[in-house]
Amino acid sequence: MTGPGAAAQAFPAVARDEASAEFFAAAARGELLMQRCPASGDVLGPQARTCPSCGSADLDPVVVSGRGTLVSWAVVHQAPVPSLAAAVPYLTAVVELAEGPWLLVRLAGAEGGDSLEPRVGLPLVACFLPSGAAGDEPAGEMLPAFMPLARATA
Amino acid sequence: MTGAAIAGLGITELGKVYGRSSTSLAAEAVRLAVADAGLALPDLDGLLVSSGIRQDVGVSLADVLALPELGLLAQVNAFGATAGVMVAQAAQAIASGAATTVACVFADTPLRPQRRAGDAWGSPRGDARAPRGLAGWSLASGAASPNILYALCARRHMERYGTTSAQLGDIAVAQRAWAAGNPRAAMRAPLTLAEHQASRWIAEPLHLLDCCLVSNGAVAVIVTSAGRAAGLCRPPVHLWGFGQAHAPRQLRAGSDWGVVTPAARSGPQAMRMAGIGVDDVDVCELYDCYTYTVLVTLEDYGFCPKGEGGQFVADGRLAPGGKLACNTGGGQLSAYYMWGMTPLSEAVIQARGDGGERQAPRHDVIMVSGNGGILEHHATLVLSPHPARRSAAW
Repeated sequence: MTGPGAAAQAFPAVARDEASAEFFAAAARGELLMQRCPASGDVLGPQARTCPSCGSADLDPVVVSGRGTLVSWAVVHQAPVPSLAAAVPYLTAVVELAEGPWLLVRLAGAEGGDSLEPRVGLPLVACFLPSGAAGDEPAGEMLPAFMPLARATA
Repeated sequence: MTGAAIAGLGITELGKVYGRSSTSLAAEAVRLAVADAGLALPDLDGLLVSSGIRQDVGVSLADVLALPELGLLAQVNAFGATAGVMVAQAAQAIASGAATTVACVFADTPLRPQRRAGDAWGSPRGDARAPRGLAGWSLASGAASPNILYALCARRHMERYGTTSAQLGDIAVAQRAWAAGNPRAAMRAPLTLAEHQASRWIAEPLHLLDCCLVSNGAVAVIVTSAGRAAGLCRPPVHLWGFGQAHAPRQLRAGSDWGVVTPAARSGPQAMRMAGIGVDDVDVCELYDCYTYTVLVTLEDYGFCPKGEGGQFVADGRLAPGGKLACNTGGGQLSAYYMWGMTPLSEAVIQARGDGGERQAPRHDVIMVSGNGGILEHHATLVLSPHPARRSAAW
Protein backbone atom coordinates (compact mmCIF):
# COMPACT_ATOMS: atom_id res chain seq x y z
CA MET A 1 0.00 0.00 0.00
CA THR A 2 1.08 3.50 -0.55
CA GLY A 3 0.05 6.89 0.70
CA PRO A 4 -1.17 9.85 -1.36
CA GLY A 5 1.69 11.45 -3.24
CA ALA A 6 -0.45 11.85 -6.35
CA ALA A 7 -1.84 15.20 -7.34
CA ALA A 8 -5.22 16.16 -5.93
CA GLN A 9 -7.90 14.30 -7.85
CA ALA A 10 -10.75 16.66 -7.08
CA PHE A 11 -12.94 14.05 -5.46
CA PRO A 12 -16.23 15.49 -4.25
CA ALA A 13 -16.61 15.07 -0.49
CA VAL A 14 -17.92 11.61 0.40
CA ALA A 15 -19.42 10.87 3.82
CA ARG A 16 -19.57 7.44 5.39
CA ASP A 17 -22.83 5.75 6.29
CA GLU A 18 -23.44 2.77 8.53
CA ALA A 19 -22.92 0.19 5.79
CA SER A 20 -19.61 1.72 4.66
CA ALA A 21 -18.11 2.59 8.06
CA GLU A 22 -15.69 -0.36 8.09
CA PHE A 23 -14.63 0.28 4.49
CA PHE A 24 -13.78 3.92 5.13
CA ALA A 25 -12.13 3.18 8.48
CA ALA A 26 -9.87 0.75 6.61
CA ALA A 27 -9.19 3.29 3.88
CA ALA A 28 -8.18 5.85 6.50
CA ARG A 29 -5.59 3.28 7.70
CA GLY A 30 -4.36 2.74 4.13
CA GLU A 31 -6.09 -0.62 3.77
CA LEU A 32 -8.38 -1.77 0.99
CA LEU A 33 -11.35 -3.67 2.39
CA MET A 34 -13.20 -6.11 0.12
CA GLN A 35 -15.46 -9.08 0.88
CA ARG A 36 -14.76 -12.80 0.80
CA CYS A 37 -17.21 -15.67 0.52
CA PRO A 38 -16.13 -18.31 3.07
CA ALA A 39 -17.96 -21.03 1.12
CA SER A 40 -16.40 -20.48 -2.32
CA GLY A 41 -13.30 -18.53 -1.35
CA ASP A 42 -14.18 -15.87 -3.94
CA VAL A 43 -13.09 -12.32 -3.17
CA LEU A 44 -15.79 -9.84 -4.16
CA GLY A 45 -16.12 -6.08 -4.40
CA PRO A 46 -17.36 -4.09 -1.41
CA GLN A 47 -20.86 -3.64 -2.85
CA ALA A 48 -21.52 -7.31 -3.71
CA ARG A 49 -24.47 -8.80 -1.85
CA THR A 50 -24.34 -12.32 -3.25
CA CYS A 51 -21.47 -14.61 -4.19
CA PRO A 52 -21.86 -15.29 -7.94
CA SER A 53 -20.18 -18.70 -7.59
CA CYS A 54 -22.34 -20.21 -4.85
CA GLY A 55 -25.18 -17.78 -4.22
CA SER A 56 -24.27 -17.27 -0.58
CA ALA A 57 -25.15 -13.97 1.05
CA ASP A 58 -22.82 -14.56 4.01
CA LEU A 59 -19.78 -12.51 3.04
CA ASP A 60 -16.91 -11.60 5.35
CA PRO A 61 -14.80 -8.45 5.19
CA VAL A 62 -11.22 -9.08 4.03
CA VAL A 63 -8.24 -6.76 3.62
CA VAL A 64 -6.65 -7.32 0.20
CA SER A 65 -3.17 -6.66 -1.11
CA GLY A 66 -4.05 -3.49 -3.00
CA ARG A 67 -2.14 -4.84 -6.01
CA GLY A 68 -3.93 -5.00 -9.34
CA THR A 69 -3.68 -4.58 -13.08
CA LEU A 70 -5.39 -2.26 -15.55
CA VAL A 71 -8.28 -3.78 -17.54
CA SER A 72 -9.74 -0.69 -19.24
CA TRP A 73 -9.85 3.08 -18.88
CA ALA A 74 -11.58 6.20 -20.16
CA VAL A 75 -10.60 9.85 -20.10
CA VAL A 76 -13.71 11.67 -18.98
CA HIS A 77 -14.07 15.13 -20.51
CA GLN A 78 -17.75 15.82 -19.87
CA ALA A 79 -18.59 15.62 -16.17
CA PRO A 80 -21.45 13.15 -15.71
CA VAL A 81 -22.71 15.03 -12.65
CA PRO A 82 -22.07 18.61 -11.48
CA SER A 83 -20.04 17.46 -8.47
CA LEU A 84 -17.40 16.09 -10.86
CA ALA A 85 -17.17 19.31 -12.89
CA ALA A 86 -13.99 20.36 -11.08
CA ALA A 87 -12.39 16.98 -11.74
CA VAL A 88 -12.52 16.81 -15.56
CA PRO A 89 -10.61 15.67 -17.44
CA TYR A 90 -9.99 12.63 -15.27
CA LEU A 91 -9.04 9.01 -15.80
CA THR A 92 -11.49 6.40 -14.64
CA ALA A 93 -10.60 2.74 -14.93
CA VAL A 94 -11.52 -0.89 -14.50
CA VAL A 95 -8.89 -2.48 -12.29
CA GLU A 96 -8.52 -6.21 -11.65
CA LEU A 97 -7.36 -6.87 -8.11
CA ALA A 98 -4.78 -9.60 -7.61
CA GLU A 99 -7.50 -11.43 -5.66
CA GLY A 100 -9.88 -11.40 -8.65
CA PRO A 101 -12.62 -8.75 -8.39
CA TRP A 102 -12.82 -5.78 -10.71
CA LEU A 103 -13.24 -2.28 -9.35
CA LEU A 104 -14.35 0.90 -11.11
CA VAL A 105 -11.89 3.41 -9.70
CA ARG A 106 -10.07 6.65 -10.38
CA LEU A 107 -6.61 6.29 -11.87
CA ALA A 108 -4.22 8.64 -10.11
CA GLY A 109 -0.69 9.67 -10.90
CA ALA A 110 -1.36 11.78 -13.99
CA GLU A 111 -3.59 14.70 -14.86
CA GLY A 112 -5.42 14.27 -18.13
CA GLY A 113 -3.97 10.82 -18.62
CA ASP A 114 -1.40 11.44 -21.32
CA SER A 115 1.75 11.07 -19.26
CA LEU A 116 0.48 7.96 -17.49
CA GLU A 117 0.51 5.82 -20.64
CA PRO A 118 -2.21 3.40 -19.62
CA ARG A 119 -2.08 -0.08 -21.13
CA VAL A 120 -3.88 -3.35 -20.49
CA GLY A 121 -2.09 -5.25 -17.76
CA LEU A 122 -0.28 -2.21 -16.34
CA PRO A 123 0.62 -3.12 -12.73
CA LEU A 124 -1.19 -0.86 -10.27
CA VAL A 125 -1.38 -0.34 -6.55
CA ALA A 126 -4.05 1.20 -4.37
CA CYS A 127 -3.53 4.67 -2.99
CA PHE A 128 -5.79 6.65 -0.70
CA LEU A 129 -6.74 10.22 -1.49
CA PRO A 130 -8.75 12.79 0.43
CA SER A 131 -12.21 13.69 -0.82
CA GLY A 132 -13.73 17.14 -0.67
CA ALA A 133 -11.99 20.50 -0.31
CA ALA A 134 -9.42 21.30 2.38
CA GLY A 135 -11.20 22.75 5.39
CA ASP A 136 -14.51 20.98 4.73
CA GLU A 137 -16.41 20.29 7.95
CA PRO A 138 -16.76 17.41 8.39
CA ALA A 139 -13.81 16.32 6.24
CA GLY A 140 -14.60 13.94 3.39
CA GLU A 141 -13.49 10.34 3.71
CA MET A 142 -10.22 9.04 2.25
CA LEU A 143 -11.08 7.26 -1.01
CA PRO A 144 -9.24 4.36 -2.62
CA ALA A 145 -7.82 5.06 -6.09
CA PHE A 146 -5.08 3.28 -8.04
CA MET A 147 -1.76 4.40 -9.43
CA PRO A 148 1.00 2.70 -11.43
CA LEU A 149 3.06 0.40 -9.23
CA ALA A 150 6.26 1.68 -10.84
CA ARG A 151 5.41 5.20 -9.76
CA ALA A 152 4.52 4.17 -6.23
CA THR A 153 7.82 2.36 -5.72
CA ALA A 154 9.98 4.92 -7.53
CA MET B 1 -51.04 -19.16 -41.40
CA THR B 2 -49.45 -19.35 -37.96
CA GLY B 3 -47.51 -17.06 -35.72
CA ALA B 4 -47.78 -13.37 -34.97
CA ALA B 5 -47.42 -10.23 -37.00
CA ILE B 6 -47.16 -6.49 -36.49
CA ALA B 7 -50.28 -4.94 -37.96
CA GLY B 8 -50.00 -1.33 -36.89
CA LEU B 9 -47.37 1.33 -36.19
CA GLY B 10 -47.89 4.64 -34.42
CA ILE B 11 -45.22 7.32 -34.07
CA THR B 12 -45.88 10.68 -32.39
CA GLU B 13 -43.98 13.87 -33.01
CA LEU B 14 -40.43 13.17 -31.83
CA GLY B 15 -37.54 15.16 -30.41
CA LYS B 16 -38.01 18.53 -28.73
CA VAL B 17 -41.68 17.94 -27.96
CA TYR B 18 -42.40 20.00 -24.88
CA GLY B 19 -45.43 20.54 -22.69
CA ARG B 20 -46.81 17.02 -22.93
CA SER B 21 -46.57 14.15 -20.48
CA SER B 22 -45.13 10.76 -21.39
CA THR B 23 -48.57 9.24 -20.74
CA SER B 24 -50.25 11.66 -23.15
CA LEU B 25 -47.70 10.79 -25.84
CA ALA B 26 -48.08 7.06 -25.14
CA ALA B 27 -51.85 7.32 -25.52
CA GLU B 28 -51.44 9.14 -28.83
CA ALA B 29 -49.00 6.53 -30.14
CA VAL B 30 -51.42 3.69 -29.31
CA ARG B 31 -54.29 5.56 -31.03
CA LEU B 32 -52.12 6.12 -34.10
CA ALA B 33 -51.05 2.46 -34.21
CA VAL B 34 -54.61 1.19 -33.82
CA ALA B 35 -55.81 3.51 -36.59
CA ASP B 36 -52.87 2.47 -38.80
CA ALA B 37 -54.00 -1.15 -38.43
CA GLY B 38 -57.57 -0.24 -39.28
CA LEU B 39 -58.75 -1.19 -35.80
CA ALA B 40 -60.43 0.68 -32.96
CA LEU B 41 -59.27 0.93 -29.35
CA PRO B 42 -61.94 -1.50 -28.09
CA ASP B 43 -60.40 -4.15 -30.36
CA LEU B 44 -57.36 -4.29 -28.07
CA ASP B 45 -57.29 -7.01 -25.44
CA GLY B 46 -53.68 -6.59 -24.48
CA LEU B 47 -51.40 -3.67 -23.57
CA LEU B 48 -47.70 -3.70 -22.75
CA VAL B 49 -46.16 -0.45 -21.57
CA SER B 50 -42.49 0.54 -21.59
CA SER B 51 -41.22 3.66 -19.90
CA GLY B 52 -37.87 5.30 -20.63
CA ILE B 53 -35.43 7.40 -18.64
CA ARG B 54 -38.22 9.15 -16.71
CA GLN B 55 -40.03 5.92 -15.79
CA ASP B 56 -43.35 7.73 -15.69
CA VAL B 57 -45.73 5.63 -17.81
CA GLY B 58 -47.43 2.58 -16.39
CA VAL B 59 -50.43 0.32 -16.61
CA SER B 60 -52.76 3.21 -15.84
CA LEU B 61 -52.43 3.97 -19.53
CA ALA B 62 -55.19 1.37 -19.98
CA ASP B 63 -57.55 3.67 -18.03
CA VAL B 64 -56.49 6.72 -20.02
CA LEU B 65 -57.44 4.83 -23.20
CA ALA B 66 -60.62 3.43 -21.59
CA LEU B 67 -59.65 -0.02 -22.77
CA PRO B 68 -62.14 -2.83 -22.24
CA GLU B 69 -61.42 -6.09 -20.46
CA LEU B 70 -57.85 -7.12 -21.15
CA GLY B 71 -56.20 -10.53 -21.18
CA LEU B 72 -52.72 -9.06 -20.90
CA LEU B 73 -51.59 -5.87 -19.18
CA ALA B 74 -48.12 -5.16 -17.82
CA GLN B 75 -45.33 -2.67 -17.58
CA VAL B 76 -42.20 -4.25 -19.03
CA ASN B 77 -38.66 -3.11 -18.39
CA ALA B 78 -35.50 -4.65 -19.76
CA PHE B 79 -34.17 -1.15 -20.52
CA GLY B 80 -33.19 -0.81 -24.18
CA ALA B 81 -34.12 -4.43 -24.84
CA THR B 82 -37.74 -3.84 -23.83
CA ALA B 83 -39.31 -3.39 -27.26
CA GLY B 84 -38.20 -6.84 -28.43
CA VAL B 85 -39.19 -8.39 -25.11
CA MET B 86 -42.66 -6.84 -25.41
CA VAL B 87 -43.24 -8.07 -28.96
CA ALA B 88 -42.14 -11.59 -27.98
CA GLN B 89 -44.37 -11.52 -24.91
CA ALA B 90 -47.31 -10.32 -27.02
CA ALA B 91 -46.70 -13.10 -29.56
CA GLN B 92 -46.58 -15.71 -26.81
CA ALA B 93 -49.81 -14.36 -25.29
CA ILE B 94 -51.45 -14.58 -28.70
CA ALA B 95 -50.15 -18.12 -29.24
CA SER B 96 -51.48 -19.18 -25.84
CA GLY B 97 -54.88 -17.62 -26.41
CA ALA B 98 -54.50 -15.12 -23.56
CA ALA B 99 -54.96 -12.21 -25.97
CA THR B 100 -55.58 -11.62 -29.66
CA THR B 101 -54.53 -8.03 -30.26
CA VAL B 102 -51.81 -6.40 -28.17
CA ALA B 103 -50.52 -2.83 -28.24
CA CYS B 104 -46.87 -2.43 -27.22
CA VAL B 105 -45.91 1.17 -26.47
CA PHE B 106 -42.82 3.11 -25.39
CA ALA B 107 -42.92 6.73 -24.26
CA ASP B 108 -40.47 9.11 -22.64
CA THR B 109 -39.98 12.84 -22.09
CA PRO B 110 -36.44 13.29 -20.75
CA LEU B 111 -35.68 16.46 -22.75
CA ARG B 112 -36.41 19.78 -21.04
CA PRO B 113 -36.31 23.24 -22.61
CA GLN B 114 -33.00 25.07 -21.98
CA ARG B 115 -31.32 21.96 -20.65
CA ARG B 116 -28.52 19.91 -22.18
CA ALA B 117 -29.54 16.54 -23.58
CA GLY B 118 -26.89 14.96 -21.35
CA ASP B 119 -28.72 16.26 -18.27
CA ALA B 120 -31.42 13.71 -19.01
CA TRP B 121 -29.09 11.04 -17.69
CA GLY B 122 -27.08 12.99 -15.17
CA SER B 123 -28.28 15.61 -12.78
CA PRO B 124 -31.87 14.77 -11.90
CA ARG B 125 -30.76 11.74 -9.94
CA GLY B 126 -27.00 12.14 -9.75
CA ASP B 127 -26.47 15.19 -7.58
CA ALA B 128 -29.72 15.51 -5.71
CA ARG B 129 -27.92 14.58 -2.51
CA ALA B 130 -24.31 14.61 -1.36
CA PRO B 131 -22.69 11.31 -2.28
CA ARG B 132 -22.57 8.98 0.69
CA GLY B 133 -21.18 5.57 1.48
CA LEU B 134 -19.93 3.12 -1.10
CA ALA B 135 -22.23 4.68 -3.68
CA GLY B 136 -20.46 7.95 -2.97
CA TRP B 137 -17.06 6.35 -3.54
CA SER B 138 -18.42 4.87 -6.75
CA LEU B 139 -19.73 8.23 -7.96
CA ALA B 140 -16.50 10.04 -7.03
CA SER B 141 -14.52 7.37 -8.87
CA GLY B 142 -16.16 8.80 -11.93
CA ALA B 143 -17.69 6.01 -14.03
CA ALA B 144 -21.02 7.65 -13.28
CA SER B 145 -22.90 7.58 -16.59
CA PRO B 146 -23.61 5.23 -19.51
CA ASN B 147 -21.30 7.36 -21.70
CA ILE B 148 -18.35 6.50 -19.49
CA LEU B 149 -19.20 2.84 -18.98
CA TYR B 150 -19.61 2.30 -22.72
CA ALA B 151 -16.29 4.10 -23.25
CA LEU B 152 -14.69 1.52 -20.94
CA CYS B 153 -16.24 -1.26 -23.04
CA ALA B 154 -15.13 0.27 -26.35
CA ARG B 155 -11.61 0.71 -24.98
CA ARG B 156 -11.42 -2.99 -24.14
CA HIS B 157 -12.38 -3.86 -27.71
CA MET B 158 -9.85 -1.41 -29.13
CA GLU B 159 -7.03 -2.75 -26.97
CA ARG B 160 -7.85 -6.39 -27.64
CA TYR B 161 -8.59 -6.21 -31.37
CA GLY B 162 -7.12 -2.97 -32.65
CA THR B 163 -10.50 -1.37 -33.33
CA THR B 164 -10.15 2.36 -34.00
CA SER B 165 -12.19 5.48 -33.35
CA ALA B 166 -12.31 6.04 -37.12
CA GLN B 167 -14.00 2.66 -37.54
CA LEU B 168 -16.62 3.70 -35.00
CA GLY B 169 -16.88 6.89 -37.03
CA ASP B 170 -17.68 4.85 -40.14
CA ILE B 171 -20.84 3.71 -38.36
CA ALA B 172 -21.86 7.26 -37.46
CA VAL B 173 -21.20 8.48 -41.01
CA ALA B 174 -23.17 5.62 -42.60
CA GLN B 175 -26.16 6.17 -40.34
CA ARG B 176 -26.18 9.90 -41.03
CA ALA B 177 -26.26 9.15 -44.74
CA TRP B 178 -29.36 7.00 -44.17
CA ALA B 179 -30.92 9.72 -41.98
CA ALA B 180 -30.85 12.10 -44.93
CA GLY B 181 -33.73 10.07 -46.38
CA ASN B 182 -35.78 10.00 -43.17
CA PRO B 183 -38.14 12.95 -42.65
CA ARG B 184 -38.40 12.05 -38.95
CA ALA B 185 -34.64 12.19 -38.37
CA ALA B 186 -33.36 14.99 -36.13
CA MET B 187 -29.91 15.10 -37.76
CA ARG B 188 -30.02 14.96 -41.56
CA ALA B 189 -27.07 17.11 -42.67
CA PRO B 190 -24.29 15.01 -44.21
CA LEU B 191 -21.52 13.98 -41.82
CA THR B 192 -17.89 13.34 -42.72
CA LEU B 193 -15.46 11.11 -40.90
CA ALA B 194 -13.30 14.17 -40.25
CA GLU B 195 -16.26 15.86 -38.52
CA HIS B 196 -16.79 12.76 -36.41
CA GLN B 197 -13.13 12.72 -35.45
CA ALA B 198 -13.17 16.44 -34.65
CA SER B 199 -16.27 16.26 -32.44
CA ARG B 200 -15.43 16.80 -28.80
CA TRP B 201 -14.56 13.96 -26.49
CA ILE B 202 -17.31 12.93 -24.12
CA ALA B 203 -15.39 10.07 -22.53
CA GLU B 204 -12.37 9.11 -24.62
CA PRO B 205 -12.46 6.89 -26.73
CA LEU B 206 -16.04 8.09 -27.41
CA HIS B 207 -16.56 11.35 -29.26
CA LEU B 208 -19.81 13.30 -29.08
CA LEU B 209 -20.82 11.80 -32.45
CA ASP B 210 -20.42 8.27 -31.09
CA CYS B 211 -23.29 8.96 -28.69
CA CYS B 212 -27.04 8.82 -29.35
CA LEU B 213 -29.52 11.66 -29.23
CA VAL B 214 -32.08 12.16 -26.49
CA SER B 215 -35.70 12.56 -27.63
CA ASN B 216 -39.19 13.06 -26.31
CA GLY B 217 -42.04 11.11 -27.90
CA ALA B 218 -43.74 7.76 -28.13
CA VAL B 219 -43.93 4.78 -30.50
CA ALA B 220 -46.44 1.91 -30.48
CA VAL B 221 -46.96 -1.26 -32.49
CA ILE B 222 -49.98 -3.55 -32.68
CA VAL B 223 -49.21 -7.28 -32.51
CA THR B 224 -51.86 -9.78 -33.57
CA SER B 225 -52.06 -13.22 -35.12
CA ALA B 226 -50.66 -13.56 -38.62
CA GLY B 227 -54.10 -14.71 -39.76
CA ARG B 228 -55.89 -11.66 -38.40
CA ALA B 229 -53.16 -9.33 -39.63
CA ALA B 230 -53.66 -10.61 -43.17
CA GLY B 231 -57.23 -9.28 -43.12
CA LEU B 232 -56.32 -5.79 -41.89
CA CYS B 233 -55.52 -2.72 -43.93
CA ARG B 234 -51.70 -2.64 -43.83
CA PRO B 235 -49.32 -5.33 -45.09
CA PRO B 236 -48.49 -7.60 -42.12
CA VAL B 237 -44.94 -7.65 -40.80
CA HIS B 238 -44.49 -11.25 -39.76
CA LEU B 239 -42.55 -12.29 -36.69
CA TRP B 240 -40.28 -15.12 -37.78
CA GLY B 241 -38.28 -15.43 -34.63
CA PHE B 242 -37.35 -13.83 -31.35
CA GLY B 243 -34.78 -14.22 -28.62
CA GLN B 244 -33.61 -12.57 -25.47
CA ALA B 245 -30.57 -13.00 -23.24
CA HIS B 246 -29.32 -11.23 -20.15
CA ALA B 247 -25.94 -11.19 -18.43
CA PRO B 248 -25.66 -8.94 -15.41
CA ARG B 249 -22.32 -7.18 -15.37
CA GLN B 250 -19.59 -9.64 -14.38
CA LEU B 251 -16.90 -7.57 -12.74
CA ARG B 252 -14.24 -10.15 -11.99
CA ALA B 253 -11.21 -11.90 -13.45
CA GLY B 254 -11.85 -13.59 -16.76
CA SER B 255 -14.94 -11.53 -17.59
CA ASP B 256 -15.70 -10.65 -21.21
CA TRP B 257 -17.88 -7.76 -20.06
CA GLY B 258 -18.14 -5.15 -22.78
CA VAL B 259 -16.46 -7.27 -25.44
CA VAL B 260 -18.90 -10.20 -25.72
CA THR B 261 -22.54 -9.32 -25.05
CA PRO B 262 -25.78 -11.30 -24.55
CA ALA B 263 -26.47 -10.66 -28.25
CA ALA B 264 -24.25 -13.69 -28.83
CA ARG B 265 -27.04 -15.86 -27.36
CA SER B 266 -30.12 -13.83 -28.24
CA GLY B 267 -29.27 -13.45 -31.94
CA PRO B 268 -28.66 -17.13 -32.73
CA GLN B 269 -31.77 -18.06 -30.71
CA ALA B 270 -33.94 -15.77 -32.84
CA MET B 271 -32.31 -16.94 -36.08
CA ARG B 272 -32.82 -20.60 -35.16
CA MET B 273 -36.49 -19.95 -34.53
CA ALA B 274 -36.75 -18.12 -37.86
CA GLY B 275 -34.86 -20.84 -39.69
CA ILE B 276 -32.33 -18.39 -41.11
CA GLY B 277 -28.65 -17.52 -40.88
CA VAL B 278 -26.92 -14.16 -41.11
CA ASP B 279 -26.45 -14.59 -44.87
CA ASP B 280 -30.23 -14.46 -45.26
CA VAL B 281 -30.52 -11.05 -43.58
CA ASP B 282 -31.25 -8.14 -45.92
CA VAL B 283 -31.61 -5.34 -43.39
CA CYS B 284 -30.29 -4.85 -39.85
CA GLU B 285 -31.94 -2.43 -37.47
CA LEU B 286 -29.54 -2.49 -34.53
CA TYR B 287 -29.79 -0.74 -31.21
CA ASP B 288 -27.29 2.10 -31.30
CA CYS B 289 -26.99 3.92 -28.01
CA TYR B 290 -23.37 4.26 -29.17
CA THR B 291 -21.58 3.47 -32.42
CA TYR B 292 -19.74 0.75 -30.53
CA THR B 293 -23.00 -1.03 -29.69
CA VAL B 294 -23.64 -1.57 -33.40
CA LEU B 295 -20.14 -2.94 -33.96
CA VAL B 296 -20.24 -5.40 -31.07
CA THR B 297 -23.78 -6.54 -31.95
CA LEU B 298 -22.76 -7.31 -35.55
CA GLU B 299 -19.94 -9.46 -34.19
CA ASP B 300 -22.09 -11.21 -31.60
CA TYR B 301 -24.79 -11.96 -34.19
CA GLY B 302 -22.11 -13.58 -36.36
CA PHE B 303 -22.01 -11.13 -39.28
CA CYS B 304 -18.23 -11.23 -38.81
CA PRO B 305 -15.85 -13.02 -36.45
CA LYS B 306 -15.27 -11.57 -32.99
CA GLY B 307 -12.75 -8.79 -33.21
CA GLU B 308 -13.27 -8.04 -36.91
CA GLY B 309 -16.18 -5.63 -36.46
CA GLY B 310 -13.97 -2.62 -37.12
CA GLN B 311 -12.90 -3.87 -40.53
CA PHE B 312 -16.42 -5.13 -41.25
CA VAL B 313 -18.04 -1.70 -40.91
CA ALA B 314 -15.32 0.11 -42.88
CA ASP B 315 -15.65 1.29 -46.48
CA GLY B 316 -19.31 2.15 -46.17
CA ARG B 317 -20.57 -1.40 -45.83
CA LEU B 318 -23.48 -0.22 -43.67
CA ALA B 319 -24.21 2.95 -45.68
CA PRO B 320 -26.78 3.42 -48.44
CA GLY B 321 -25.54 1.35 -51.38
CA GLY B 322 -23.34 -0.77 -49.11
CA LYS B 323 -23.45 -4.53 -48.75
CA LEU B 324 -25.54 -4.56 -45.55
CA ALA B 325 -28.33 -2.03 -45.08
CA CYS B 326 -28.10 -1.11 -41.40
CA ASN B 327 -30.02 1.43 -39.34
CA THR B 328 -31.73 2.74 -42.44
CA GLY B 329 -33.59 5.52 -40.66
CA GLY B 330 -30.46 6.95 -39.07
CA GLY B 331 -31.01 5.13 -35.80
CA GLN B 332 -30.69 6.69 -32.39
CA LEU B 333 -27.44 8.36 -33.42
CA SER B 334 -29.09 10.55 -36.06
CA ALA B 335 -32.89 10.12 -36.04
CA TYR B 336 -34.60 9.67 -32.68
CA TYR B 337 -33.99 8.01 -29.33
CA MET B 338 -36.96 5.82 -28.53
CA TRP B 339 -34.92 2.95 -27.07
CA GLY B 340 -35.76 -0.37 -28.78
CA MET B 341 -38.68 1.21 -30.58
CA THR B 342 -36.25 3.11 -32.80
CA PRO B 343 -34.91 -0.01 -34.57
CA LEU B 344 -38.33 -1.73 -34.40
CA SER B 345 -40.25 1.18 -35.95
CA GLU B 346 -37.74 1.45 -38.80
CA ALA B 347 -37.94 -2.31 -39.34
CA VAL B 348 -41.71 -2.11 -39.76
CA ILE B 349 -41.34 0.79 -42.21
CA GLN B 350 -38.73 -1.13 -44.24
CA ALA B 351 -40.67 -4.41 -44.20
CA ARG B 352 -43.73 -2.63 -45.59
CA GLY B 353 -41.66 -0.95 -48.27
CA ASP B 354 -42.60 2.46 -46.86
CA GLY B 355 -39.01 3.71 -46.62
CA GLY B 356 -39.30 6.20 -49.48
CA GLU B 357 -35.90 7.66 -50.34
CA ARG B 358 -34.24 5.38 -47.82
CA GLN B 359 -36.02 2.14 -48.72
CA ALA B 360 -33.58 -0.77 -48.77
CA PRO B 361 -33.87 -2.54 -52.14
CA ARG B 362 -34.11 -5.98 -50.53
CA HIS B 363 -36.13 -6.22 -47.35
CA ASP B 364 -37.34 -9.80 -47.12
CA VAL B 365 -35.56 -10.58 -43.85
CA ILE B 366 -34.99 -7.88 -41.26
CA MET B 367 -33.10 -8.37 -38.02
CA VAL B 368 -33.90 -6.06 -35.11
CA SER B 369 -31.90 -5.72 -31.91
CA GLY B 370 -32.49 -4.14 -28.54
CA ASN B 371 -29.77 -3.58 -25.97
CA GLY B 372 -30.13 -2.48 -22.38
CA GLY B 373 -28.01 -1.58 -19.42
CA ILE B 374 -24.29 -1.57 -20.12
CA LEU B 375 -24.44 -4.34 -22.76
CA GLU B 376 -26.27 -6.47 -20.18
CA HIS B 377 -29.72 -7.05 -21.69
CA HIS B 378 -30.47 -8.06 -25.25
CA ALA B 379 -33.52 -8.87 -27.37
CA THR B 380 -33.67 -9.87 -31.02
CA LEU B 381 -36.54 -10.02 -33.51
CA VAL B 382 -36.52 -11.45 -37.03
CA LEU B 383 -39.22 -9.79 -39.14
CA SER B 384 -40.40 -10.24 -42.70
CA PRO B 385 -43.18 -9.11 -45.03
CA HIS B 386 -43.66 -12.81 -45.84
CA PRO B 387 -45.43 -15.39 -43.67
CA ALA B 388 -43.08 -17.52 -41.56
CA ARG B 389 -41.49 -20.33 -43.55
CA ARG B 390 -42.23 -22.81 -40.83
CA SER B 391 -44.54 -22.85 -37.87
CA ALA B 392 -42.73 -21.29 -35.00
CA ALA B 393 -42.01 -23.73 -32.19
CA TRP B 394 -42.88 -21.58 -29.20
